[in-house]
Amino acid sequence: MKCVVPGVNLKVFGRAIHSLAKIGDEVYFEPLEQGLSLRTVNSSRSAYACFLFFPSYFQHYDDGSREDEAGRNSEEEEEGLRCKITVKSIMAVFRSLSTIEKTVEKCKISHNAREARLVFELHCRHGIVKTHNLAYIECETLQAIFSKDMCPNKLSAPSKLFCDVVVNFQTTQEEITLTVRPESLSLKNYVEDEPDPNKVVHTELNLAPEEFDLYQVGVDTDITFCLKELRAILAFGETTGLPININFESAGRPVTFCIDSDQTFEANFVLATLADVDQSSSQMPASQRSQQAASTSQHHAKHAANSKQHKAKDVSVKKESKRKESTKTDRHRDQELNRNQPQPSSSAANDVDNMADISAEEFAAAMEAEEDWETEEQTENNPQDRITDQQTLQGAETDDTTQKEGRVTETNTSPGETKRKEGRVTETDTNLQGGWLGKSLHEEREVEEEEGEEEEGRNRGGLKLNGAEGRSSSSPVIPVQCPSSGKSSLLLFADEDIWSKPKREGPCLQPLDDDDNDDLDETIPGTPPAKKFRSLFFGSSQKASQSTQPQQNNTVLAAETDEED
Amino acid sequence: MPGKMLSTQQADDDSANVFVAKLDNARNVSNILKAIHFKDTATVFVTSQGLKVTVEDAKCVQANAFIQAAVFHHFVLTQDQATFKVNLSVLIECLTIFGSGAGGSTAAASLKMCYAGYGSPLVLMLEEDGVLTDCSLKTLEPDEVLDFDFCSTNVINKIIMKSECLKEVFNELDTSSDILQILMSPDAPFLQLSTFGNAGSTHSSFSKESDMVEAFQCTQTQSNRYKMQLLRPSSKALALSARISIRTDARGFLSLQYMIRNDDGQVCFVEFFCAPDEEMEEPDH
Repeated sequence: MKCVVPGVNLKVFGRAIHSLAKIGDEVYFEPLEQGLSLRTVNSSRSAYACFLFFPSYFQHYDDGSREDEAGRNSEEEEEGLRCKITVKSIMAVFRSLSTIEKTVEKCKISHNAREARLVFELHCRHGIVKTHNLAYIECETLQAIFSKDMCPNKLSAPSKLFCDVVVNFQTTQEEITLTVRPESLSLKNYVEDEPDPNKVVHTELNLAPEEFDLYQVGVDTDITFCLKELRAILAFGETTGLPININFESAGRPVTFCIDSDQTFEANFVLATLADVDQSSSQMPASQRSQQAASTSQHHAKHAANSKQHKAKDVSVKKESKRKESTKTDRHRDQELNRNQPQPSSSAANDVDNMADISAEEFAAAMEAEEDWETEEQTENNPQDRITDQQTLQGAETDDTTQKEGRVTETNTSPGETKRKEGRVTETDTNLQGGWLGKSLHEEREVEEEEGEEEEGRNRGGLKLNGAEGRSSSSPVIPVQCPSSGKSSLLLFADEDIWSKPKREGPCLQPLDDDDNDDLDETIPGTPPAKKFRSLFFGSSQKASQSTQPQQNNTVLAAETDEED
Repeated sequence: MPGKMLSTQQADDDSANVFVAKLDNARNVSNILKAIHFKDTATVFVTSQGLKVTVEDAKCVQANAFIQAAVFHHFVLTQDQATFKVNLSVLIECLTIFGSGAGGSTAAASLKMCYAGYGSPLVLMLEEDGVLTDCSLKTLEPDEVLDFDFCSTNVINKIIMKSECLKEVFNELDTSSDILQILMSPDAPFLQLSTFGNAGSTHSSFSKESDMVEAFQCTQTQSNRYKMQLLRPSSKALALSARISIRTDARGFLSLQYMIRNDDGQVCFVEFFCAPDEEMEEPDH
């Protein structure tokens, strides 16, 4: 293996080494046919970096795969060198980048198989040659599995933008939360459970989509990842002056930062994101959040009154979907879509579109799927409402069951909307809906459906009312005043039906609640589901980052803030 | 106490003082002394040619700073020579009492050194901007200094080069390595500094064709190892210097000579001698 890096490219090469050094303790060195790859992973395996320098980057590149390599060590060469070098060793070679830039004319990297050393020869000015023989450890290929293309959210901006952003955060700040919505992006410092959040500095920075070269938000989400590693990435990005492409999905899923210069090199950094601890599953939170986000956006778009109902649905849908994974949603969605044509027509549907084309559709579909009885009309209920509900629901996610219920109902009322919002959800296992709840929901649903449309005008409250009224008869529903997003509680109830129904198959509501029922039953059989939801709602809402879940409006809700079933 | 000062000054100029030297910029002396400051005590030899300050460590390395008489605008020695040992750290602190003057823009302190002979203290007087400082340093019995017996006739390999390229190399030498190996040869790689540390081995080669090399006289290939920690202090002198001369003799002893230009353009020399690291052939512990 032998390659020669010309002096002009050494700066980037050296910078790459420096950023790898900041992330991990060892640099995995592997000359491949498509180029020289340098990779590292951090000690907790939560950050992975990979640099691939294409042969065009080098003055001369030979990965040693050819057999006729001077005949010697052909076996080793053929096999391909896979080794790792400690960061200390390689930094000894590239320590002073300014000196390297000024004095080094070229750098020759070769493999001395006989002595098992990786040889770095820096040919400097004035006839000086610095040769470093570094010991290495043979190892297996380090490879992270990630998919950039599958991510619904993509951002692209010059590195300088992000550099300017991170400069505003304290140097001791460990983690940062990136929140995306179709209309804005914000970065906040992540504060772990602090006894007194008011004593801690909170930093928040908002960016408009116009600042980005590419701003594609498929799923409203917020992800939390390590700032230190981001700084290392930006340190590299800044020197190259190339744009950074960020691909991510939702909390709990990795975020990928890519910097590539078409012909010469490609850098990929994968960071793990914090999974929402509120959610029962790591997937959940993200989905739920996104759902909420989705709903929120729709909400904004619509400002329709019935949002509440819809929201609840949406929320539930979201939650479910989160759990379920988007695949289910897709399935449902398809089903739903087929069933609920009208969705698009409904305002909610439109709203969805505002948010994120795909996600909205997905949600819509999901919601549709969930609701067997689609209430097309309901869709109009303001997806927004749904969103809020969803959000609230999310808060309450802890109780899947309850949420589901709520969600289910929601969907019923505004099938289109709910579906839309979440996109992924819909499927959710709304098994929750315990039987009883489901039934009541059904009833309510019907009621709601009728009223759903009327409710449009009302925020959440509308739904609430419907639900309440309807429910009161069938199941106790605690009227939740969710002016903006609070609705969820009620919605939750409403959603239950939805959830139970669609669950996976879609249309019919079945008592999905295998587990949910249990949960429900646990609380207090016969306890108004609202109560349960409420607690769920509150509990989770506190955690939910963006959603305006706290339905402080509801007196009822206030009671059980901490309860999380 | 100006009065006292004056009287002292007059007294200085009397024969009471064996040695009196004056110069306008104390930094010319303090900088050179800092280059060899790796031990607390130094032996000072005063001869008609000037001052020679010697610092030694472990009986293996010796640094000498030569400050010619021409550097001083007043240099009087009533004896053939005067030798004494003094605390180098204190001496440097006194010389830089008005600040190390890194900026260099402010007025330099002017210095007057007096020594009244065996047993008397070394008296320094510094004045800057009308402020006067009077220092009296106790002198100690001078110890025998090593004589490396390094004469030009024994020199086998000699290379004179510009210091700048070596500065980086020296600074980047692998600190995890115990020894520094110096190879000098009439054939490639001509001059090679090697370290063997935790990360692996590092070799820095200097070609004789390089424009950094001013003189290259190598007669045979020699490779010697020296303890890194003994040579580390020489990097201070290297940092100040403009040119360096590397010489080894038949025994493998190393002589590094640095040419330092001071603020006023005057030239001073600092010399390092280092004994090679011998491979223990028989473990006779």
